[in-house]
This record gives sequence, C-alpha cells and structure tokens, in this order.
Amino acid sequence: MGKCNQSLLEILLKDSSFNNWAKKSNQNDMAFWEKWIREHPDTIETVYTARDIIIGIAFKKDILPEEKINKELNAVLAQISLKKEIEDAKKVIPINRNPRAKFIKYSAVAAIGLLVIVFGNIALNSSSEVTHKTGFGEIINLKLPDGTSVVLNGNSEIKYSKEDTRNIALKGEAYFKVKSIPATKAKFWVNTKDLKVEVYGTQFHVNTREKKTDVLLDEGSIHLVLDNGDTTEMVPGELVSFSKENNRISQQKLTTELPYALWREDTYVFNNITLEEVMKNVKHAYGVVIEFNDEELKHQLLTGGIPNQNLKICLSAIEKSTGTQIVNKDNKLILFKNSNN
Amino acid sequence: MNESSEKAIWLLFVEGDLNAFSTLFKLFYDPLHNYGLKISSNSEITEDCLQNFFIYLYDNRTTFGTVKHVKSYLFVSFRRALLKSLKKERKYTDLNLAQENSTAFEFSSEELMVKQELTKIRKEAVAILLNSLSTREREAIYLKYYSELPTNRISEVMDISYQSVLNTLQKAFTKLRHHLEKHEIKQVFNLN
Repeated sequence: MGKCNQSLLEILLKDSSFNNWAKKSNQNDMAFWEKWIREHPDTIETVYTARDIIIGIAFKKDILPEEKINKELNAVLAQISLKKEIEDAKKVIPINRNPRAKFIKYSAVAAIGLLVIVFGNIALNSSSEVTHKTGFGEIINLKLPDGTSVVLNGNSEIKYSKEDTRNIALKGEAYFKVKSIPATKAKFWVNTKDLKVEVYGTQFHVNTREKKTDVLLDEGSIHLVLDNGDTTEMVPGELVSFSKENNRISQQKLTTELPYALWREDTYVFNNITLEEVMKNVKHAYGVVIEFNDEELKHQLLTGGIPNQNLKICLSAIEKSTGTQIVNKDNKLILFKNSNN
Repeated sequence: MNESSEKAIWLLFVEGDLNAFSTLFKLFYDPLHNYGLKISSNSEITEDCLQNFFIYLYDNRTTFGTVKHVKSYLFVSFRRALLKSLKKERKYTDLNLAQENSTAFEFSSEELMVKQELTKIRKEAVAILLNSLSTREREAIYLKYYSELPTNRISEVMDISYQSVLNTLQKAFTKLRHHLEKHEIKQVFNLN
C-alpha cells in the first residue's frame, strides 16, 4: 500500500475545486486537477483516498412509515402529560405530618388512580377527537361543525371531541367568531392552561403563548372561569390577562395609552409595545431565533398594524415602522439600527 | 430543515413548547432509530430506549446548557443511553456478549446504491468489503454517509479527535480501494 499524506489529504478535502473534480461537476476544475495529478504522481494515493472520501458510499435510506413515528410520538406525549399530572397531584400532599396525613396520602393515591383512568379513556376515545394544528409560519381558517369560525395562527393547536364540538382546547393563538345558537342558547367554551372562556356568540382573540392567557373581546359578552375558580365578565373592547403561575389577573379597557398586542386574521395590531415583545410574537409564530444587535432597540415602542401573511412581509413592515434593519440569517433574525437614522 | 432552524426549534423546545418537541421528535426519530438498530441489532431495545430518551430530553430540557449542533447532540446522548441499557441487558444475556461488538454496524447489500466508482462491482462484494472493516471504521462510514453528519461532529459522537476520524476514514477507503482493485483484476482474468 502506498503512503497517504495527512496534511495534503486535509487540504484536498477542504478544497472546493478539488471536490468539484472528485464529483466531476466542473469542467475547469477537472482540467486543472488532471494536470496537477500528472505533475504530482507521488501524491496519487492521497488524491484517490481524498476522492473516495468525498464520493463516499451511497446508502439507500430505510425510512420508517409516518404512522409508526406518530404512534411512538403519541406514546411519549401521553407519558409526559401523565407524569406531569402525577407530579401536580403530589404537590397536594402537605409536607408536615399530622393525624390526617395518612388520609390525605390515600386520597392522593386515589387521585392518581383516577387520572390514569381518565387517560385510558382519552386513549380509547381518541378516534372521536379532532385536532387542528399549524406548523411554524402557517395560518389556517377553520369552520367548526357548529358554524363557528376560527383563525389559527402559526405553531398553534385546537382540539375538541366530535360529541361536543362547542367545547374546545387551545394552545397558542387564535381568533374566534362564535356562531350564536339563539334557539337553545348553547354555550361555547375555549379552554386554556390558565382559564376557560364561556360565550354564547361573539368575536374574540385568545393567546396562550407566554406564561399566561390573554383574551380580547371584540363583540358580544364573555364569561371567564379562571384556573383558581374565580369568575369575571368581559365587555367588548376589554383585555384580560391571567396567569395561573402567579395567580394574577389584569382586566382593562383598551385605550390608546394602554400597551396591548393583538392578532386577527393576518394582521398584528400593536399599541405601545416594545420591540422585544413584538419580536416574541414573531418568534412563536414562525419558529425563529431573535437577536438584538443593539440593546437599546429592545425598548423601542411600536404602535400600528403589522401584516402577517408571511415572514417576509411581516419583517419588512416592522423594519419600516421602527426604522430598523432585520437580517434573516438561516432563521435567526438579527435586528440592527438603521444607519440612516 | 437546516442546522439553524433545527436550533430555533430546539430553543423553543427548551422553553417547554410541546409543539417544538413534537417537531424535533418527527425530525430525529427515524435517523436515531436507524442508528440504534445499527448499534444494537435489536429493535425492541432500540425502541424502548428511544422512548425513554425522548422523555428524558423533555424532563431535563432546562439542564442541557448551550447546544451547538442539535443533530450531533442527539446522536451523542442517544448513543450513550443505548450503550448503557445494552450493558444492563448483557448481565442477563451473557451469551451474546462476545458477538455484540462484531455485529454492530453491519451492512447489507440491499442498503447500498450502486453509484459512480462502484458500478462495476456487485453490491454484495461491496457489502462484504465494508463488513470486513473494523467496527469503528464502519461506524465512521455510517455516520458520515448514512447519517450525513459533518466530520467534526462525527468526532464528537464517537468521542475521538477530528484527526482520528480522518485517519479512520482514510484507512477504511484505502482498504476498500485496494480490495476493489484486486477484485476487478480477478474479474478481468475470470472471464467465464
């Protein structure tokens, strides 16, 4: 076996012109390297090894069927949420021991048992459950069986059972136009991690992205049931934010002074919102990373409508209204101060 | 999906976004599953281990620190987890112990596509030649050409230096080429 020159091998592997020769993809490079090889016959062993490493071995990929992967994913997701429920149930057990501790311990065990049963049921009834899910940067318009229309923003999900199509669960961000059914006065529910929205027929916006849920009412009236059991009524033009984590609620009428961010169909409306918050909306909906070249930019306020049909349009509107420059480098958005300002 | 969008999804996953977690799962289940099969030749252990691995990822998502390259990070961590559970398994199935190493990363002729320099040679011959390489050489070839990891990432996954990966690949291809040349010459003389 001939000798192979390590440093030459490394140089050749990194050389794009040599790569073209190995793959026979560029006439000029091919001519150059044929000549070079003739002039350096002692390197032939290294040259061939480098060529072989570049061409490599072509494998036929064995691709698993999508159903198989989804089945595995569902099993993992079920385990994750089961674990979470059990942990939440454990938190109920008081740390200090008292005469009732044993009783509480037993009831906690019973609670876990119950959860398992609930999960079993979900799994059994999974065929009757409907899920609509959007990917990053995808917006869909949905018509629910009862005539209610829902616009689902990117990276969001709604779920309901076929038996109860007016009781839905939401993760992410959506705009609802609930069809009222005057004859039966049937209610419509939107459930989030923090609260439950109860309505007859209205238009409203729900956002669960951060560690809270925002509800903004446009028309009609809404009854909210918070995760802590409290309830509140909303009138049109009001914005409610509730987080079960810190158990804090804010309920305010939208005014021009109040900072707020809302989303409908394909537009974001911001009022006195910092650029940092604005970019958080973009991050969640499109699955991008945000970087500020200049810390000062984070605190700049934005007021106005930002179209949101796609990432490009959205970014160019933000650039224009804030006097910034946003560079999209492989899904990493870097914000610069515009040099003209 | 390119490296930086994988990273963007990873960051959302670290924040607890289940949607991002599902996206990562769908992206990497297949490549990790195949890698696991190549290491263990046992689909039951591979699938059990993968499930636990993804649950572990979710439970510990805030503890990983900065991840430079999502794919190689997952390959490294899964490799470690799988080897650990194989070790446990071996306590009970001592008979397989001796063979375990030698059957890892075996290739079959059905996995190969006939292309470029290899057109003249039967795929079976190439598979036999590939399997005559050391386990380490086979793993490097697998990670580079099947999993399509960059060379510097392969060194992280296999826990050896960049230089050793290059050496390994170089040795493997030198062996392959000399075998192939001999084989071709034989074919020329065996005109039957």
